Amino acid sequence: MNPDLRAYLDGELSYEELSPDLRTEASAWEVLAHDMKQGEPPGAPPWLEGAVMTEVAVKPAPARKETALHWLLRSRTIHMSPLTGALAAAAILVVLLLPRAPQSVATDPASTRTTILVEFRLEAPGATSVSLAGDFNDWETDMALEDSDGDGIWTGRVPIQPGIHKYMFVIDGTEWVTDPNAERYSDDGFGNRNAVLAVTPIT
Amino acid sequence: MSTQLNVSDGDAVRAVLEGDREMYRVLVRRYQDTLYQHALRMVGRADDAADIVQRALVNGFEKLGRCRDPEKVGGWLFRIMSNLCKDFLKSPRRDDLSIEGASAAVIDRSDPSDDLERGELQSSVRQALEKLNAEQREAFVLKHLEGRSYDEMSELLGVSKSALKMRVLRAREELQFMLKVYQ
Repeated sequence: MNPDLRAYLDGELSYEELSPDLRTEASAWEVLAHDMKQGEPPGAPPWLEGAVMTEVAVKPAPARKETALHWLLRSRTIHMSPLTGALAAAAILVVLLLPRAPQSVATDPASTRTTILVEFRLEAPGATSVSLAGDFNDWETDMALEDSDGDGIWTGRVPIQPGIHKYMFVIDGTEWVTDPNAERYSDDGFGNRNAVLAVTPIT
Repeated sequence: MSTQLNVSDGDAVRAVLEGDREMYRVLVRRYQDTLYQHALRMVGRADDAADIVQRALVNGFEKLGRCRDPEKVGGWLFRIMSNLCKDFLKSPRRDDLSIEGASAAVIDRSDPSDDLERGELQSSVRQALEKLNAEQREAFVLKHLEGRSYDEMSELLGVSKSALKMRVLRAREELQFMLKVYQ
């Protein structure tokens, strides 16, 4: 697309700044948008409000977001450190910050390799879903985190094989976000950063 | 009934969270038309759009405690609705989609002279729109059918302006290409 036409359609150039040829094309785009809106209803159907309120009437009352210790539960990824000493330190950190045993050793039944259960957390109030995508699941968005108490803190425990892994969170299936509390990052080649997770075997 | 149409969004949200669920009607009345129009432009069929908006508003009520900025609850409800639209468009169960109200228009307009030709052009526009992916269609609808600025779009969707500009550009290029192919 011609850069001037693009700038005009993006609101960065005025109509007068376009060449005559581009003005014709610019007008055609506006006609297209105008025509697309022809025949649209002015608003929601009249029954919609009643239908929503009927459902709302029988739903449990919405709970306020819990704010106590909110800062303490900010998103963080638990890393398995490369040394036993560091692992112990990480374990202490886990005990202090995440008292619900966020990581443990599990055996992957599909293979003889040991996997490490890593807990991922992301603070995402307002999200309807959060999933984890990384090189350990071929960047698919099918590893869902959960927020069962509705406090906006999404968590999930994932068995991961030892190694260096890259990952991101995906909010509502479309918005890819970098873990704000990862300890290391790497560029993904598309202008964003992946979080980097180091998982080492427990010996 | 405690419906008060002059209360602020934040006051309405706080009242609902304090137990006055009838105050949610204020938010439903305030935003249902905007939500519905966007949903209709995204999914094409009136019954699907109404179903999505109903689900978005009910989900919004259930999760209202998670709304971080009650004064901007409209944008928060919009995000819930827009995610449902995108889920719908990506759903493998979605059957024959049609764009209601999409009338004849092509980039290289040739002034069709009879109904048959106009009908073919309408079909072309429908097919072209249906082939845009959900994110491109969303960006195109917000920019060109709803006339929003990139700043507004960025705040609404939580996506960077540069990414949105790229989606709109790709949508325009896709439409332009497809409409030429169909001609």
